[in-house]
Amino acid sequence: MQVRPIGQPYPATEKGNGVAEFRIRFDGVSKYYGQQCVVDKLRLDIEKGEFVSLLGPSGSGKTTLLMMLAGFETATEGQILVDGYRVNDVPSHKRDMGVVFQNYALFPHMSVGANVAFPLQMRGISKAEIAGRVKTALDMVQLGALSERKPSQLSGGQQQRVALARALVFEPRVVLMDEPLGALDKNLREQMQLDIRALHQRLGLTIVFVTHDQGEALTMSDRIAVFNKGKIEQIGTPRQVYDEPATRFVAEFIGETNLIAGTVEVVEATSVTIRMNGGNIVRVAGTDGLAAGQAVSVSLRPERLSLTQVSGTDASLPGNTISATVTDCVYQGDHLRVQLTGAGDASYIVRLDRRSAEPQRGAQVTAFFSPEDCKVIAS
Amino acid sequence: MSGKSFLQKSGPLLLVAPLFLFICLFFIWPLGSVLTQSVSDNAVARLLPETAKVASSWDGQSAPAEGLQAAFVTDLRAATDEQAVGDMVRRLNSAQSGFRTLMSKTLKAVQDKPEGPIDLVALDRKWSQPQYWKAITDALSPTTDRYLLAAVDLMRNDAGEIISQPPKQTINVAIFGRTFWISATVTIFCVLLGYPYALLITVATGWKKQALLAAVLLPLWTSLLVRTAAWFILLQEQGLINSALMDLNIIADPLALIFNRTGVIIAMTHVSLPMMVLPIYSVLLTIPKNLMPAAASLGAHPLRAFVRVLLPLSFGGIAAGSLLVFMSAIGYYITPALIGGAGDQMISSFIAFHAQNSGNWGMASALGIVLLVVTIILYAVYERLATQRERSA
Amino acid sequence: MPAKTLQWLFGALMAAFLIVPLLVMMPLAFTSSLLLVYPIPSFSFRWFVELFTLPVWQRAIVNSLIIGFGTTALATVLGVLAALGLRRRLPMIGGLIRTLFMLPMVVPAVVLGIGMQILLARIGLANTHLAVIIAHTVVAVPFVIVSVSGSLAGIDRRVELAAASLGAAPQRVFSKVTLPLAMPGILTGAVLAFATSLDEVVLTLFVAGPNQRTLARQMFSTIRDNISPAIAAAAFLFIFGTLLLAAVVLIVRRKKEVATI
Repeated sequence: MQVRPIGQPYPATEKGNGVAEFRIRFDGVSKYYGQQCVVDKLRLDIEKGEFVSLLGPSGSGKTTLLMMLAGFETATEGQILVDGYRVNDVPSHKRDMGVVFQNYALFPHMSVGANVAFPLQMRGISKAEIAGRVKTALDMVQLGALSERKPSQLSGGQQQRVALARALVFEPRVVLMDEPLGALDKNLREQMQLDIRALHQRLGLTIVFVTHDQGEALTMSDRIAVFNKGKIEQIGTPRQVYDEPATRFVAEFIGETNLIAGTVEVVEATSVTIRMNGGNIVRVAGTDGLAAGQAVSVSLRPERLSLTQVSGTDASLPGNTISATVTDCVYQGDHLRVQLTGAGDASYIVRLDRRSAEPQRGAQVTAFFSPEDCKVIAS
Repeated sequence: MSGKSFLQKSGPLLLVAPLFLFICLFFIWPLGSVLTQSVSDNAVARLLPETAKVASSWDGQSAPAEGLQAAFVTDLRAATDEQAVGDMVRRLNSAQSGFRTLMSKTLKAVQDKPEGPIDLVALDRKWSQPQYWKAITDALSPTTDRYLLAAVDLMRNDAGEIISQPPKQTINVAIFGRTFWISATVTIFCVLLGYPYALLITVATGWKKQALLAAVLLPLWTSLLVRTAAWFILLQEQGLINSALMDLNIIADPLALIFNRTGVIIAMTHVSLPMMVLPIYSVLLTIPKNLMPAAASLGAHPLRAFVRVLLPLSFGGIAAGSLLVFMSAIGYYITPALIGGAGDQMISSFIAFHAQNSGNWGMASALGIVLLVVTIILYAVYERLATQRERSA
Repeated sequence: MPAKTLQWLFGALMAAFLIVPLLVMMPLAFTSSLLLVYPIPSFSFRWFVELFTLPVWQRAIVNSLIIGFGTTALATVLGVLAALGLRRRLPMIGGLIRTLFMLPMVVPAVVLGIGMQILLARIGLANTHLAVIIAHTVVAVPFVIVSVSGSLAGIDRRVELAAASLGAAPQRVFSKVTLPLAMPGILTGAVLAFATSLDEVVLTLFVAGPNQRTLARQMFSTIRDNISPAIAAAAFLFIFGTLLLAAVVLIVRRKKEVATI
């Protein structure tokens, strides 16, 4: 299908050529409900063929942003650009975006086939072509045999796939997904994550995916935008947002972490030394414009910590060491979860390999980690 | 917003407007007419415009001046519509007895002498007494509260104070009392029968539940008239109930079941029961099934558990059902009219009687307004309960 | 007697109390007797014959059909439009307007009847079929609104958003998604409006002249004045008619479902 230009041409971007390289641009977009600000002067560029997840807790504005992109909500201020054209005032039926809703929003009075044919009928495509494309789309999601069924006769996973086929069959320029896997059980959800990812790579789709499940975002995305209170806290690859959280919120929201408050002691060429509350001194890789005396937090992922049953600081151990007492230890199948209390009543969670020896409650231990395994967050 | 349907763009108000106008025209206006009718009193004023002009010059105490008398005669000469004159005489006679004979005498004199002044006092000495003129000047006001007062058995005395009507003429309060009493009795029967029945539907499963529900819904879908006719057939002297009881030798002579209070209450209870069962059932459905076992596990005797747990939780349903039943019962017309005797007619029958048989629209409207106000108050309470329940749900 | 048995005995008695009165009428429609009593001497269609040949009953049936269909059309059109308008929250006035539309269900029929008679006489509509249709529509419209609003409320807003995102312009969202999904409620509302009109007696007493006597009105005076098995036959027609209508609606709905697969 031809790509029809939508909306009014947007006056030259900062690149000066009128057509930018990004597919979608949010340019200072805000959304207010009365006095309440839901999306706050947000900027975000999404490239063609990219899979971007909007990740955040409920009420963080991620769904509202998606609804504005789909044309179901209007932006209070700012521009939304698609292929360089302003779409703020383009009604949703002319935006050419496939939307997959959390509850699938299938038409209950139409068969599966009619559901998938709907967007093609709306575009005045010939009956013969519709039949072929519906079949292709349903085969793609392995539902070719069920096209006569009503949505109510399908399982949740099947309905999900119909919704997907319906959103893809008209080859939209963007596919928007609003927590599409939220209603599925765990196993099915993980399967669908991989299926959608495979479709994305095979068809070169541009996908904007809203989720509150960090695991889902990490699994599927090229980039993740972490939302909090209407703003993007951090945008980056899954590796970036996990390993190098830019803010305390990101560190806590994505994965589990130990956040320990402290003060910068010395700034060196490639690392800083931090005195943590309770007295321990740790060295952290990277300087990030930190200055001595600055109050910071250190983010320490539980799986990056190792334990030894030796108490006291041991010069033979690599990197940083923390002396602590074991307060609890729980076997969780694939790992051991150990809770420690260190100097100054600081509490740490450590994730150990399930084959490790189970430390006794009350045992004196030393936790150690390398400077590269932790991250300083300005606080 | 582009996600809106075209109907919404054209404005929800535009869609609501046709029905709104229709309801204003054919619902609000009629009710407004009832209200106006209940306070309007132009039977006298429209025939005596000249009298009205000079009426204010009279002090209301002494014998009336020449001017007033002359204006009255002028008006009577101009009044040619016999029906309107009849209305006026009836209206005046109800305010002051003796007017009927006085007016027929006077009207005859006016007919006999179409020109020149007439000495009214010479015609009849009553015209020298201020109370007759007072009755006329009082009746000249286009609005009156006499119908509304009479609807609750009150009246104004000569001094204008509100007093009770003489005991012989009090009937309306008694009829309202009867209406409320019958309605309350029906409501209580509905609660006593409907609550356990709703409870039974809640605990039943499978075909039993379906059958119990169908037994409530089927009558609800059946015409009210058909249901009343059915009770007429069942309750009559040679009806099914009497003949069955006599065949079984339980009674020797037929019981009086129709054209009396018993019949009215049985039939009205039958007609109203679904309105009680359904709200209670819908509330019972929302109560978690494990509360009663929980209460039992905490040591409560089933009866105690019921009184302390289930009853308070389902109170909203009982209140809603009771209001619904009572509210509709006080307006019943068909069932008491067909099943009841003369002593069981409710207020609606009297309203219809005043309007259709005696042509006393003022009285019919005043009684109607009282009934309407009571109903609206009950409905407001019902709505309030419903929104409260919605909010807490 | 064990509590369980007592419970079911009560249930059975209550169900009988609710249902039996409706059932005993039916056989009497086929009695050959002049009296509405059991036992029925022999089976006969004479009362149905009377219903369809005696001019008063004939006329009443025709009137009921004219007025019933008129009311159904008027109440359904007005009610569906209003229900669509009330679908989205109108700040403040929405609730008030809805309450206003529901009020005719609550107001005592006799009071409304008096007002209607006064008003319709004043605007020169007294004793016309239109007057009766208008009166019946006022009390039938709440049923249409309740039923249509219910089915509209059952439509997931996101289904309509999905249709828009798939390229359906607003009119097509309405005709292809909203309307089909609301259709069961509209049909139910129409049937309820017809049934309301068929059963209405009190307003009819006030606004109908001798030429607008409906079946219900005729039944009412027959029971009052000269009770005859004709009323059992008429009641049979009532119940049969309502069932027939309900069946038609069910079939139409079923067909629609089949057609869209």
